[in-house]
Amino acid sequence: MDDSSQTARRVVMGFGDAANLPDDDELPTESMPLNMGPSHPAMHGTVRMVLEVEGEKIRSADVQIGFLHRCFEKEAENATWTQIFPYTDRLNYVSPMLCNVGYALAVEKLLDIDRKIPARAQFIRVIVGEISRITDHLTCLAASAMELAAFTVFFYLMKAREWLWELLEEVSGARLTHSYVRIGGVVADLTDDFCPKLRDVLRRCRAAIADADKLLTGNRIFRDRMDGIAIITRDDAIGWGLTGPVGRSAGLDYDVRKDHPYLVYDRFDFDVPVGSKGDNFDRYAVRLEEMRQSMRILEQAMDLLPAGPVLINDARVALPPKREVYNTIESMIAHFKLIMDGIVVPPGEIYSFTEGGNGELGFYIVSDGTGQPWKCRVRPPCFAHTAVLNKVLPGLFIADVVPTFGMINMIGGECDR
Amino acid sequence: MAGEMPAKAAARASVKMVIDGQPHEFPAGLTILEACQRVGSKVPFFCWHPGLSAPAVCRQCLVEIKGFPKPIPSCYTPVADKMEVITNSPKVLDVRRQMLEFTLLNHPIDCPICDKAGECLLQKHYFDWDARLARNDGSKVRKAKVVDVGRHIVLDQERCILCSRCIRVCNEVARQPDLVMAFRGDRQLLTTAPGRRLDNPYSLNTVDVCPVGALTAKDFRFSMRAWEIWATPSVCPGCATGCNIEIHAARNVIRRLIPRLNPAVNKYWMCDEGRLSYKPVHENRLAAPIVAGAPTSWDAALAEAARLLAQARDKSPSTLGVVVSAQMTNEEIFAFSRLATEQLRTSKIYLAGASEGWCDDVLVSADKNPNTTGAKLIVGPSLRTAADLKQDREAGVVTALLVVGGAADSCDSLQTLVVVASHQGPPVAAAQVALPLAMWAEVDGSFTNRQAKVQRLHAAIAPAGQSRPGWEIAARLGRALGAAWAYADAKQVFSETCDKITLLSGADWGTAEMPVQLRFANSRG
Repeated sequence: MDDSSQTARRVVMGFGDAANLPDDDELPTESMPLNMGPSHPAMHGTVRMVLEVEGEKIRSADVQIGFLHRCFEKEAENATWTQIFPYTDRLNYVSPMLCNVGYALAVEKLLDIDRKIPARAQFIRVIVGEISRITDHLTCLAASAMELAAFTVFFYLMKAREWLWELLEEVSGARLTHSYVRIGGVVADLTDDFCPKLRDVLRRCRAAIADADKLLTGNRIFRDRMDGIAIITRDDAIGWGLTGPVGRSAGLDYDVRKDHPYLVYDRFDFDVPVGSKGDNFDRYAVRLEEMRQSMRILEQAMDLLPAGPVLINDARVALPPKREVYNTIESMIAHFKLIMDGIVVPPGEIYSFTEGGNGELGFYIVSDGTGQPWKCRVRPPCFAHTAVLNKVLPGLFIADVVPTFGMINMIGGECDR
Repeated sequence: MAGEMPAKAAARASVKMVIDGQPHEFPAGLTILEACQRVGSKVPFFCWHPGLSAPAVCRQCLVEIKGFPKPIPSCYTPVADKMEVITNSPKVLDVRRQMLEFTLLNHPIDCPICDKAGECLLQKHYFDWDARLARNDGSKVRKAKVVDVGRHIVLDQERCILCSRCIRVCNEVARQPDLVMAFRGDRQLLTTAPGRRLDNPYSLNTVDVCPVGALTAKDFRFSMRAWEIWATPSVCPGCATGCNIEIHAARNVIRRLIPRLNPAVNKYWMCDEGRLSYKPVHENRLAAPIVAGAPTSWDAALAEAARLLAQARDKSPSTLGVVVSAQMTNEEIFAFSRLATEQLRTSKIYLAGASEGWCDDVLVSADKNPNTTGAKLIVGPSLRTAADLKQDREAGVVTALLVVGGAADSCDSLQTLVVVASHQGPPVAAAQVALPLAMWAEVDGSFTNRQAKVQRLHAAIAPAGQSRPGWEIAARLGRALGAAWAYADAKQVFSETCDKITLLSGADWGTAEMPVQLRFANSRG
């Protein structure tokens, strides 16, 4: 290469390399605004990033959310407690079961029936929840790999996600928006051959994840794009309220399932992977390992799954069986009151939190004693995660935005509500 | 009753007793149920009603009293010194549940087709105090489903839980014993007394007090589910009594009127005629301003009305008369009387209204206008009667009229006629300009009843078509006639009315009440 081509390459590399040039050789650069999104293939779930770039380098970032705002909280105030489940499906729409469970637990605590949920229902909630966690991470990793041009991985992981979603469709009737959980339990028992099917799917998922692991973890191109990019320190994670895989990859050993066990999580043996550097690769690696841990939980849950009812036996909370509703006045009235007035939740307030796909998913609900919430506030984990983007993006290259955003895994439905 | 006791003795006599472990003091003569209600101890009941006597037939209000071997009906038993009442012991809760089980034993599975569903006391008590699945799968005792018991009412004998509230309404409110119980045990049923029908003027109160859907109003039956209804507090426009009511509206249509408690006016009741007084709100309404027989815009109609009125006034103000109606609110009457004196420069204000009708000593007044007192107070002694109008017209003293609200009996042979009316009819047909007027259920405002109580109306539905409240029409007409005054809302007119009219000073506009949806309101059923 001659000198002139060397100079040209440096200009393309941008600000950093140009800084090494003698002052009079430096090409004049001028900061330029660059819009990414809200309609951009890598801006999942519609988010807008207004970047100020100098050459390829980001000087400042303004991440704007709210394009998927659906008035979750206001809608919830005009629905009965049960009618809110379909709205929770649409919070984190790649792990709706976890949102279902998180919301149900909050209402159950306020009703003071959280200790009376049948054991089988609790195990089923763990099973569908952990399946959802795997689909959540599969989606995150598959999409990010694809955005870094690893299209094969995308197909491998999406295929695995589809197997899992087929199982959830089998129990709930819907592939994506399950609305499977109810206050007091779940709407229906698992299908007869659910467990053998799940074991088979887990075996195949393990293979798919191992394939993706082999294709990505040691891949030079992938590592170059992920290693050391967008580092978040443990202090930052605490300061910005980062939880879940993003918080753990930064070294914050916090998992609601371990630290504040709910349902029957204290009965399972599983590990919580924690990262050391807090870069994009750590976030990828933590998610990869979490899927394996979820599979461990699933296998234990299937082994321990007790027999029994899947819905609480309380006519003030759970709909009576249809046969009773059509043939006795007592159940007819209970059905009528539950549908028309809603479950009467005693006045009070509660903050209940669970480990969602992206981290601590909290519901702060206030009841005024009627059949509808007076307030139903969600603490979406990726709202905090998206906030930290403004801090980590400056200094990176434009090309780093896509994997960083992918690993933060902002889900519009959940972040914007 | 306490009222029969010498007043001083009643004031002095009080009892110290314990309810659910808490010591309380109550005036003597109170029942245990009323005492429990005062201190917030929940005791369910079916047959008791605050406005009726207590027969203690439903046994739903049983409570435990220390020293008594059996549970005692609290609605019937007066409080006594050193009494210890328990309303929530396992025994009481069990008895309560057992009574509900008996009541539900033969109750038909009608909720989906029952008018009362959603505001049903039986549904509420089952959900609050029982909430267990049925233990009996035997067949139910069948009775008549559709019994035409009266002009306004249909009875479903199966649904009846035999509380006898309706019988007591007939006996104690209407003072006509139209209903009785027949037979015994699970064959017992409610029916009309031999040779009678439920046709007394207060019969629809039986529908209100019926805790279930046994008595239903023919007018309301199957027309709207209770939980879709929005309730707005208002005042009945049927007569000068001014019974306090709730307007029950859904989808911008009034579905029924029900009485609202006012101890000083109507207690818990209202008459059947008053209940149907909402019908005209949805019938034959004048929807748009009309000039020379053709619908037009408000601006054009107002300009034409102002031109005609100014012409008549400029010729000779004394030939110009303004007719207001005793059906209108205080605010509307005040605004039009201001328009008459200030812009039209006439003192000839006549009062029209519905003609007199029957009356009784319960609630119904002979004066079928809700606001005659208000009109007299606002316009003052110069207010002329409909008879005066007839005389002045025949003498040719008045040749131009602005008729607001009510119909002037004959409208021909006038040189100028401007009508502000809520309904189509001869005055509108005869008028050069007709402006659509919103009705009582569509406006905020107030009526002054025969006791001179100023009572507040709230708008329950949107005004029909392009109709507007009278005070607004008066202000806009005034503006078109060069007036400098205007009003932002009815409250402003009301405060000005109270400032200017000495006899109304101190009247309270009260707080704005939002309509309440019967669903989730937790107030009924």
